[in-house]
Amino acid sequence: MKIIVAIKQVPERDAQVRIDSTGKWIEETDLQWALNESDAYALEEALQFKEQHGGEVVVVSAGPERVGSTIREALAKGADRAIHTDCNDLGERDALGVARLLAAAIRTEQPDLVLTGLQSDDLGYGQTGVILAELLGLPHASLILHVEKSEGGITVKRELEEGWFQNIELPLPAALTIQSGGNKLRYATLMGIKRAKTKEVRRLTAAELGVADEPAVTLERIAMPQKQKSTQILSGTPQEAAAALVEKLKFEVRVL
Amino acid sequence: MVQMPLTLAEPAHFSVVERLAFAVLGVASGALFWRRFGPILHKILESKRDPGFRLFPLGRRIRDFTWEVLCQAKVIRERPLPGLAHAFVFWGFCAFALVTINHCAVGLGVGFLSSEGWFSRLYFYLAGAFAIACAVGILGLFVRRFLVRPRWLGEKLSWESGFIAFLIFFLMVTYLAAFFVPAASHAAALLWWLHTLTLLVFLPIIPHTKHLHLVLSPATVFLSRGGFSDIPPLAGDEDFGLVAGADLTRLVSLQAYSCVECGRCTEHCPAANTGKILNPKEIILGLRGYLNEFGPKSAEPLLSKHIELEAPFQCTTCGACEFQCPVGIEHLPILVGLRRGAVNTGTWEDDHGAKLFLALERGSNALGMQATERDKFIQKQDFPIFDGTQEYCLWLGCMGAYDPKGREIVADFARVMTYLGTTFGVLRKEKCTGDPVRRLGNDLLFQQLTEANLDALAQNNVKKIVSICPHCVRTIQEDWKEYGLPPEVEHHSEFMARHLSRLPKPAQQETIVFHDPCYLGRYRDVYEEPRNIIKGAGHLVEAPRSRERSFCCGAGGGLAFLSEETGERVSHVRASELAGTGAQIVGTACPFCNSMLRDALTATGTSAPQLLDIAQLTARALPRLDSGNATSDVRESN
Repeated sequence: MKIIVAIKQVPERDAQVRIDSTGKWIEETDLQWALNESDAYALEEALQFKEQHGGEVVVVSAGPERVGSTIREALAKGADRAIHTDCNDLGERDALGVARLLAAAIRTEQPDLVLTGLQSDDLGYGQTGVILAELLGLPHASLILHVEKSEGGITVKRELEEGWFQNIELPLPAALTIQSGGNKLRYATLMGIKRAKTKEVRRLTAAELGVADEPAVTLERIAMPQKQKSTQILSGTPQEAAAALVEKLKFEVRVL
Repeated sequence: MVQMPLTLAEPAHFSVVERLAFAVLGVASGALFWRRFGPILHKILESKRDPGFRLFPLGRRIRDFTWEVLCQAKVIRERPLPGLAHAFVFWGFCAFALVTINHCAVGLGVGFLSSEGWFSRLYFYLAGAFAIACAVGILGLFVRRFLVRPRWLGEKLSWESGFIAFLIFFLMVTYLAAFFVPAASHAAALLWWLHTLTLLVFLPIIPHTKHLHLVLSPATVFLSRGGFSDIPPLAGDEDFGLVAGADLTRLVSLQAYSCVECGRCTEHCPAANTGKILNPKEIILGLRGYLNEFGPKSAEPLLSKHIELEAPFQCTTCGACEFQCPVGIEHLPILVGLRRGAVNTGTWEDDHGAKLFLALERGSNALGMQATERDKFIQKQDFPIFDGTQEYCLWLGCMGAYDPKGREIVADFARVMTYLGTTFGVLRKEKCTGDPVRRLGNDLLFQQLTEANLDALAQNNVKKIVSICPHCVRTIQEDWKEYGLPPEVEHHSEFMARHLSRLPKPAQQETIVFHDPCYLGRYRDVYEEPRNIIKGAGHLVEAPRSRERSFCCGAGGGLAFLSEETGERVSHVRASELAGTGAQIVGTACPFCNSMLRDALTATGTSAPQLLDIAQLTARALPRLDSGNATSDVRESN
């Protein structure tokens, strides 16, 4: 069983992002990077599946040189090898452009299962995985919490709204986008990092893969959210204030 | 000149048969000793070399050896009566060395101390005095072990200890009795043989029992690493801490065989005293059991048969065990080493532990909060950002930056600094110092956090750090050294104590009991500074267990972030003890202690004393600033 996990490097959760001079992307110098959260869960699911049923986990990531550290982290946590698709224009590519890069790298591997996070923490398109499945010509399911082996394929648990779940069966090979929170993540260990040094990382370029970037969607501008203070102090006696609060919750906020 | 009435009687003549018998028995006794001691020595020497071990400078080693071994200072100070009894036995043995060598030499016809010479005569009297002290001492220890029976000596009575005590007592009696029999008599010969046979029985028993410490512990004390909780660096790419026998170093093996099973470590251990699995004595004896069964080259995991996996993870790293140990065993590097082995290889699975590690892998602080919360706090307090012009970098730490009570402490300490006119600034970005992951044995995270912090401090050209957290202070000053050169750092108790004369004293004088934080006291040797601050703020009351013997709050070693599910809560035990002093205020000097005691004091009942950090106690007496001052702000926001 060969499982491919497509992962993305994104700015660290606590990073203070600033917009760069082009106004189209963030200032990357001095930024700390981390593995995209739902990709971390995709990797965890792949590793657990491998631990149960055997096989190989290969991580694939597109991005510049810096992506190497996130790839090593994935190898340290237990992935067997990696493919790094080198490109410096990730921010300018639309979801289709990124998916094409990944698909070209994955196709030669002929995987049984392709996993990726539901969406990225930075751009948050939520489409790359879905388009990737289409480009690879694989059946696809999204919002997956767990994958289990069944006769002739897999059973997956999807998260629906309001605490509802759906279990569906898929044949293999298949592609899935994974929801955060389905597993407990493992921590990176020193032994893992040391072992990762000897694991194979194959580097490919967009040109080698024959993937040209023809964006269908172009990013015009990014902006910081505006700070808005809408705190209201309700005056009067406690009874009056409570009554005013109920009034507001009912008719202004409409949560009651 | 007055004739001395008593002379040590020695046999004047030995038959050939007697000499032969003595020689044969002597060789047999020595062989029996070596048959057991040889393999032990081999196991110690076969163990891995200690990474980072340096024999020099010798000054510290000679000082420790003189103080702890020759003077028996630690043995006596921590348990005065039994300690003194032990010291008498030890000094008796030392005085007897020459007498015993002569005694054996007499048997071979080459005795060199004759009862005629003035030196020998004097020496025999001196040894006689020591023999009396030693006999009284061993009798006292016998009574303690078999009649008083303190529980930390173990449930089971050790008959071998009883037998050894008898042998020692009998050795002294047979020596002393020889003063009262005529020289060259049958009685003298009988006493000589009884004394000799006792010696020859005693010798092979030594390596078979805890009395091995007679031979090993002087070396253990002399060779100990010396620093408190001195965690050795990992050696090379295949060293992940104490995973299997092959990871045991010579020092660890030597220490494992040196344990005298006195149970002082257990007596003072917060885990062992609150019903946890962990018992520091059993960890050391577990290692000894492992070495006996598998040896120092084995690949068998250390945490399986002889030591339970959970045991080292119940350690608060308070260091009471290491501080107490009279034979130089360094428990903390061993306990942290076992954790390193389990964490660095991913063997340890714990939901809370993994959560802490992931919080620090992905974020900046151990509390798992957004770093923007720290920014908001800094803005609200209007703390200046460190820009190289200020004297101090005020290190907030995770507790000071994110914990509500920790924030109050930092805010009050900042007020004190401002009042004193000391310039300070905070870093724009700060990561956890790595204290909890260092103690839990996650070397990867610790290295990442240390390097990021050292980098930020160097970039900001920080020369001096002051912090309200003893854990931060210790980690910055000692543990970061593995990866670079940290700036000078001090605890706020040291800073405030230095400026005490310029700080105002409060009008009302309340009683304040001070809780010594482990990382300030045992780890840093700071006991007087916080006390002086408290004496300035009220009447100091001492807790039953204080200073070097202070009882942990339960937070150290990363345990503040894990769950405490077995037995009684360490914090509750300590809180009841502090509340029991009747003091109006519990004074702390560590935000972790503060956090643990906060909940625990509430649980002790309605009349629980107030809980205040030394910074808060000091700031109370400062003149109030204009309305809308920083301190009241932070209180409202919580």
